[in-house]
Amino acid sequence: MQRKNDPGERVAAMLRIRRFEEQCILLSKDGQFPGHYHVYIGQEATAVAACAELGTDDFVFSNWRNHGHLLARGAAPDRMMAEILGKAGGYARGKSGTLHMAVRELGVPATSALVGGSLPLATGAALACKRQGRGVVVAFFGDAALEEGACYEAMILASLWKLPILFVCENNSIPPAQRQRGQYTSSTLPAAQLVDVPQALQIRTEAVDGADADALAECFDRLVAEVRSEGTPRFVEVRCTRWPGNFPLWPELPCGQWQLDWAFGQSPDRADLATWLEQSDPLLLYLRKIVAAGGLTREQVQALDERARAEMAGAVRFALDSPFPAPEEAYQHVRAEQGATL
Amino acid sequence: MTDLALDKLYGFYEQLWRIRLFEGHVQRLAAKGEVPGFPHLSTGQEAVAVGVCAHLAANDYVFSSHRAHGHVLAKGSDPYATFAEIIGRQDGLCRGRGGSMHLVDAANGVMGATGVVAGNLSLAAGAAWAAQALGDGRIAVVFFGDGATGAGVFHETLNLASLWQLPLLFVCENNGYAEFTSREEHSKVAKVSAFAAPYHLPAETIDGNDVLVVNAAAAAAVRSIRSGAGPRLLECMTYRMAGHYVGDAQRYRSKEELAAMKEKDPIDRLRAHLTQRGEPAAELEAIEKRVASEVQAAVERARQAARPDPATVLDYVYSQPLSTTAEA
Amino acid sequence: MKISFAQGVAMAISESLAADSRLLLIGNGFVGLNMEARALLEPALREFADRILVAPVSELALAGAGIGAAMAGQRAAVDLSTGSFIFQAFAQVVNEAANVHYMSGGQTTAPVTFCSLAGMRSAGAAQHSHRIQAMLGQVPGLQVLVPGGADDAYHMLKWALLQSQNPTVFISHALLLGETGELTPGAPMLPVGKARIRREGRDLSIIASSITVPRALEAAQSLERDHGFSVEVVDLRSIAPLDRDTVLKSVAKTGRAVIADECHRSFGVAAEIAATLAEEGLAYLKAPVCRVAVPDVPVPFSPPLEAELTVTADKIVAGALKVLNAGSTMRRPV
Repeated sequence: MQRKNDPGERVAAMLRIRRFEEQCILLSKDGQFPGHYHVYIGQEATAVAACAELGTDDFVFSNWRNHGHLLARGAAPDRMMAEILGKAGGYARGKSGTLHMAVRELGVPATSALVGGSLPLATGAALACKRQGRGVVVAFFGDAALEEGACYEAMILASLWKLPILFVCENNSIPPAQRQRGQYTSSTLPAAQLVDVPQALQIRTEAVDGADADALAECFDRLVAEVRSEGTPRFVEVRCTRWPGNFPLWPELPCGQWQLDWAFGQSPDRADLATWLEQSDPLLLYLRKIVAAGGLTREQVQALDERARAEMAGAVRFALDSPFPAPEEAYQHVRAEQGATL
Repeated sequence: MTDLALDKLYGFYEQLWRIRLFEGHVQRLAAKGEVPGFPHLSTGQEAVAVGVCAHLAANDYVFSSHRAHGHVLAKGSDPYATFAEIIGRQDGLCRGRGGSMHLVDAANGVMGATGVVAGNLSLAAGAAWAAQALGDGRIAVVFFGDGATGAGVFHETLNLASLWQLPLLFVCENNGYAEFTSREEHSKVAKVSAFAAPYHLPAETIDGNDVLVVNAAAAAAVRSIRSGAGPRLLECMTYRMAGHYVGDAQRYRSKEELAAMKEKDPIDRLRAHLTQRGEPAAELEAIEKRVASEVQAAVERARQAARPDPATVLDYVYSQPLSTTAEA
Repeated sequence: MKISFAQGVAMAISESLAADSRLLLIGNGFVGLNMEARALLEPALREFADRILVAPVSELALAGAGIGAAMAGQRAAVDLSTGSFIFQAFAQVVNEAANVHYMSGGQTTAPVTFCSLAGMRSAGAAQHSHRIQAMLGQVPGLQVLVPGGADDAYHMLKWALLQSQNPTVFISHALLLGETGELTPGAPMLPVGKARIRREGRDLSIIASSITVPRALEAAQSLERDHGFSVEVVDLRSIAPLDRDTVLKSVAKTGRAVIADECHRSFGVAAEIAATLAEEGLAYLKAPVCRVAVPDVPVPFSPPLEAELTVTADKIVAGALKVLNAGSTMRRPV
């Protein structure tokens, strides 16, 4: 887990997520794993800022777009990548794959791939935190979860039972400025802004720009502290702009892997990507800002990036080298071991 | 609302009594063991059913909850067939299959009560969508209690109704209790109408124990919905004078609370209004007597009605035979 | 001492709350409208009020909160009230609780108990009468307990609340709540996963669970009294795990089987037992097995219609006589 407010650590954490996800896309294109998957490119600053506030007693709940959350929480990229490839070296020995990846020892006990599915579970973990007098819960979910009754019921309980949980809605739908007349915040919710929904349930809310790493750090620092000290829920809508590589059905790398030079004068030759980088890439915008302010040199950033690339190349090797689980593994863990009498 | 024609006011008075007396028989016969299961009474909440249904045509859709008797009668269903259903007879609205909690009178637009809290909400949205698609001018009304607002499907249905701009009227009968739990305990949100705001769904909270207030608010809401202006929500503050079900010992309510509720009685309030207008007490008593004997006759007839033949138990499982069982 | 089924449930909850401070109750019904048991439960509900959560009508999240709390180190019991209401919570019970241990590769456990008061309870009509055990039996990862007597209600619920490491659905039956049974304080419990021979016999095995246990016992008595047959009654106690061995041993002894089950006939608990006998016990059978189950019809409200569908002692007797009289026609496998 990273040290708070250290620019080098923050940059490293974001770069690790981005480079991990790029490898994921390449492995998929190479046919190394079956099934659908989701990458966190463009939202890195959110997971990094939120997880920087968490300690060992805290819980994180995520969804199908969980790689960034898990890496920021401290999960090992080699075991994650092995899990994504369905290998024995994965966290769940290949039983969860990308969609349901969980790491119990890091306070990520389960990940639901159902829209809104983790939120009741997260609320229950917050109930446990309250009982045990330690720990808080951060629950990440997308804007579509607000269309699910499960989300609404979970927020009702969190509000009624006064639970220490921070609901983090990563809204990566079309941003207000680009929205056409008649389009909604999310494709199917008529609320003017998503925060109106939890507000009606008497939960305190705010919205923050998902491209602004400093604003995110400030916001999560304050909100997690409030949840911790007051023991009541908060809701934050993080407004992210979708990375162009996430528009197709299967993620793609527009103009290849992300380049550090794009932050310093050069530009990719795809207009939509160039615009997204200039306006909405939390990594690029933060790098520019921190280098201009003298917090890091370009060379230091370069070194951090090389380290991240090397780490993720290692994760890929580990995953490819890891064997598939033996067929008998299919019968393991249907039930936990237990005695049959009192 | 004071300029209502006298015959309309008398009509309301009659309908309030019809529901009250009808449910009195349910309660009386339930105590004697003649009503199977646990019927739920709407005693004290009749003004909502009467005031809203006054603005519905026979082919408008009504979806009701487990506390359905008042809605069904106010919509105009036959008291005999309704009572026969509640005591499980062959002449009942559902041929004895449904009972008190699952009354259906499709020919009269009563699409169904539901035994599952909030189970009716999304169905009503579907009917409203069908009406909109067909352009037949119908609207749908869904009655539900404040307890239903805890269910995710309530929130999902508000969203759909607003998104699709459905001709749907949500009528929340906020009687302060979800089964045995008071509203203060089960929710942090004082007013149900507040739930509608994020969806841009116009909502208001009204006195649900005054039939004239309900009548006026429902008139405006129904007019707006029929004009194509999208869904609305009416939160009717009311009071459940009976327990959650017949036989509920109501240990969660104080004596003082039970005494105060008499002042909220919608029938007393309409009578006071009529008396104030100078209507003769004898006229009101005559209405009450007439309704009493009409309801009594329906109930007695229902009690004599035949029970369903067990040999028919396989009927109605499918609306057409499954191909594999067709010859069986 | 003699206790009722509902008292067994109430005692299990009270004693478990006292025994383990991690246990949380979500909702506070558990014993239906059985007033005696409610009175028995009340002192514990008062004493441990800080561990009992007020439950709005949010079954999906209530179930999920129980699972989540259990994953995070508590133990939880969620009152889902009438059995049919588990459908409001199905997404969490079936798709989260049941999968979490497996999908995490054994990292995470969810010791949560969902309490359901299921079954044809008299005039519940189709929306309040579901028997949910067979559907849940199709969900690996869940334990499904279907006690048929007060002793097992007490022991098995207490085990689920205090000992189980897995998500459990504890299914009571409204018409079982008043059934009484003998409970010996301090006596060891029969392990979960073991069926109980409620009555020994030589001529026929009746395999029963939940509400059909007392009805099968009644049928066995009348078969002995009126027809002179010696009938064994096997109480399954749980359908996940399912004790196939005890069923097979009993049928190996008697050679004939009637399965009394309140699920619908198709794809029900009885169907699974019949399949087990067909696969592993055909050599023991002197006659075809008989399922006495509920026809594939939603449960109607009106009493004579509901009675037509109900698995009664009389119908079990009729099924038994058919099996007992069919002996010579069964061709033995070579």
